[in-house]
Amino acid sequence: MQGAVNSAVPQAVRVMLTGGFSRRYTNGVREFEIQARTVRGVIRAMDELFPGLGEHLEEETSIAIDGVIHEVVYTQVIRSGGEVFFIPRIEGG
Amino acid sequence: MLTNTKNTHQTMKSVGTSPVRPDGVPKVTGLAQYGADYSLPGMLWAKVLRSPHAHARIRSINTAKALALPGVKAIITAADLPNQSFDYVGPERVALNYWHMTRNILAREKALYEGHAIAAVAATTAAIADQAVRLIEIDFEVLPHVIDVDDAMKPDAPLLFEDMISRGFDPAPTKPSNISKRLEFKIGDLEAGFASADEVVEMSFKTAAVHQGYIEPHSCLARYGADGQCELWSSSQGHFVVRAYTAKLLGIEIGNLLVHPAEIGGGFGGKTVVYVEPLALALARKSGHPVKLMMSREDTFKATGPTSGASMTVKIGVKKDGTIVAADGLFKFQAGAFPGSPVMNATMCAFAPYIIPNARAIGFDVVSNRPKSAAYRAPGSPISAFAVESVLDILAKKIGMDPLKFRLKNAVKAGSPTVWGPKHSHDGYAETIQALLDHPEYNKPLGKNQGRGVASGFWFNGGGESTASVHINEDGTVVIATGSMDVGGSRASMALMAAETLGVPYESVRSTVADTASIGYNHVTGGSRVTYATGMVVVEACNKIIEELRLRASLMWDVDVKGVIWEDGYAKPADKSVGTFEPLSLKAIAAKRAVTGGPIGVESSINAGGQAPGFSTQFCDVEVDPETGAVKILRFVAAQDVGRAIHPKYCEGQIQGGVVQGIGWALNEEYIYDKQGRLSNAGFLDYRIPVASDLPMIEAIMVEVPNPNHPFGVKGVGEANIVPPMAAVANAIERATGTRMRELPMSPPRVLAAIDAGRG
Repeated sequence: MQGAVNSAVPQAVRVMLTGGFSRRYTNGVREFEIQARTVRGVIRAMDELFPGLGEHLEEETSIAIDGVIHEVVYTQVIRSGGEVFFIPRIEGG
Repeated sequence: MLTNTKNTHQTMKSVGTSPVRPDGVPKVTGLAQYGADYSLPGMLWAKVLRSPHAHARIRSINTAKALALPGVKAIITAADLPNQSFDYVGPERVALNYWHMTRNILAREKALYEGHAIAAVAATTAAIADQAVRLIEIDFEVLPHVIDVDDAMKPDAPLLFEDMISRGFDPAPTKPSNISKRLEFKIGDLEAGFASADEVVEMSFKTAAVHQGYIEPHSCLARYGADGQCELWSSSQGHFVVRAYTAKLLGIEIGNLLVHPAEIGGGFGGKTVVYVEPLALALARKSGHPVKLMMSREDTFKATGPTSGASMTVKIGVKKDGTIVAADGLFKFQAGAFPGSPVMNATMCAFAPYIIPNARAIGFDVVSNRPKSAAYRAPGSPISAFAVESVLDILAKKIGMDPLKFRLKNAVKAGSPTVWGPKHSHDGYAETIQALLDHPEYNKPLGKNQGRGVASGFWFNGGGESTASVHINEDGTVVIATGSMDVGGSRASMALMAAETLGVPYESVRSTVADTASIGYNHVTGGSRVTYATGMVVVEACNKIIEELRLRASLMWDVDVKGVIWEDGYAKPADKSVGTFEPLSLKAIAAKRAVTGGPIGVESSINAGGQAPGFSTQFCDVEVDPETGAVKILRFVAAQDVGRAIHPKYCEGQIQGGVVQGIGWALNEEYIYDKQGRLSNAGFLDYRIPVASDLPMIEAIMVEVPNPNHPFGVKGVGEANIVPPMAAVANAIERATGTRMRELPMSPPRVLAAIDAGRG
């Protein structure tokens, strides 16, 4: 749920990328275990691992949080042990 | 996402009803204002010079004779637009490259398809503009061309871009080609999956490029003020996107361009991009006059995006009990003259309805000498579904299983895997299959030369950025405004959701679409996102205004705001301890607006997420004339999970419309090119879309599996319905004739040839 960003201690989150995205930006590595509570925290952590990646994630992807698709919005909260999958952003007709 | 928008009504009073649409009377009386209906004093008429060649280098353009014609006020070529840097920006599926876009608006180095715009003229009359266009002299070097996607991928194919190196290969190729991009999604162990299969079917398919077929051609009116302030009146699926693209292509600031949303005569994805707006505004800038530019039907066919044609190979393996164990798909898509087909969607949607542990989908985006493809209703998904759902039908027959029960056995639900990674998070597919299994006509026997076909389809549906405002008028009526173009009935659905939230009659809510200066940003009306995302923000704005109304009532009663509740359209005391007060209507509160703080209004904005996908399952009965190959649709039943139908008649119309367009795609529609690469059927007489007399009434079944992430349970409804029809018709033809059609359209000559080939 979107709301005020919780500033409490980060928690373990599993982050995954598509094959194409990982080939372009993370040397083919598709899965990561990082510490975060929100989408902002996930992007910041990924950007620390691969400088510049954060902007690509913000501009080029949608995000599936435990399977539910969202736009990339900083305030989105991730549950402890949650699964965050960055996927190609979808546009329709 | 919203945290404070829960429907507290036990029974919906407005949501789920089908009142008269707010745009109905102006449309049926001819008073609705479309892009072509706007005029300004001193207005000029524009015409566009288009390439007669499929592929030609432009050596020079001489406009002197045309400029000398009395009445001609301005002529523009690509030299009048700023060049753009070569960058792919934005989401990969729809990455924008303004270097390409400006060349599609006006050709620079080369004309890349017949109909490619090269110059535009503004003159005092349309006749003079027409005459001037014919006076422009162009020195072409005609080049070899390529139309077909398989031909375009050959190593010796004529190159549209001599320096285009394919993306998505590792290592990157060293030589240029027409392949813009390769992409791949994969899960599991494909080899082991196929090894465990009892039956494997592999087959290749082709589909034709088809146009969205909107009745209203692209048109606009542009004004460029001496102070740099510009205005556009344009029919589009998103006036904020028209503003962004046009400003970028002309090198002006977004804040200096105001775009007014004209009514739209159909879009289906094809009006999410610009063609005429940058030309008209550039001519207005150069001439100092307002400029009107309207495409003809021929222009629309030749120079605006159809969706891709494709060449595909699909291989699927199953167990004898009907379990799908492996699937592999190769999808080669025509992008048109510039990169950007919907092949990524196609690869993601192809196997999406099914639980398949081992799967791979490979896509190629390929340029050829055709107009640049544009989005068309669930872009990409209907194309790959034609191949996948055809192969599934063959497999169901091979293992002797009812095709619906075969699909039900493998249907995804929340938690099922996808080939692109994340797990599905919503149900809804199995329910559409069950709706057809329960249909009384599904098992009804058919006659000679008749067959019944089944197919399913998936579409993501969309969320994204939307803004809405709500204002209470002086008499207590309500105005809601959004920036989402009303393509499929959104003004009615927004009003229904607002009425339900506020607890007031639908008739007291006026729903409008505001221009780009009067409301915050809204993304395009596309991707089946508006009833979901813009509906969400309308409900949020209504909830905000309820808080404001409670505050105003508390001031009128001299009580704490906590002592006021909102119920069924009235402010009421929360309980007896607050005091004895008559409930206050919107009208009563509005009458005291001045003394309680002034006008009552709010605006809300969101970036909506949590959308749920759409699934559709359909069956059709056909009769095939063995002497002519003509296919007659006898019955068509389409079940779709709509989440919650806000305006059921509109939902029904969306389902029927998608199916009809799919039937046209299946049976008749195609771009036909001659040997010179010129389009032979650029008109509705030769490009045949279905008409009412071709079809039975399409039976729409709305399955409602609410989306918990939306205050009223909405799922997008505009696109999933066009995904299954081509395969459903092909499967029905096979059952009627024993002939498997592998190429679209399944027109009478093609069906007859296939039947004759089968006769030996």
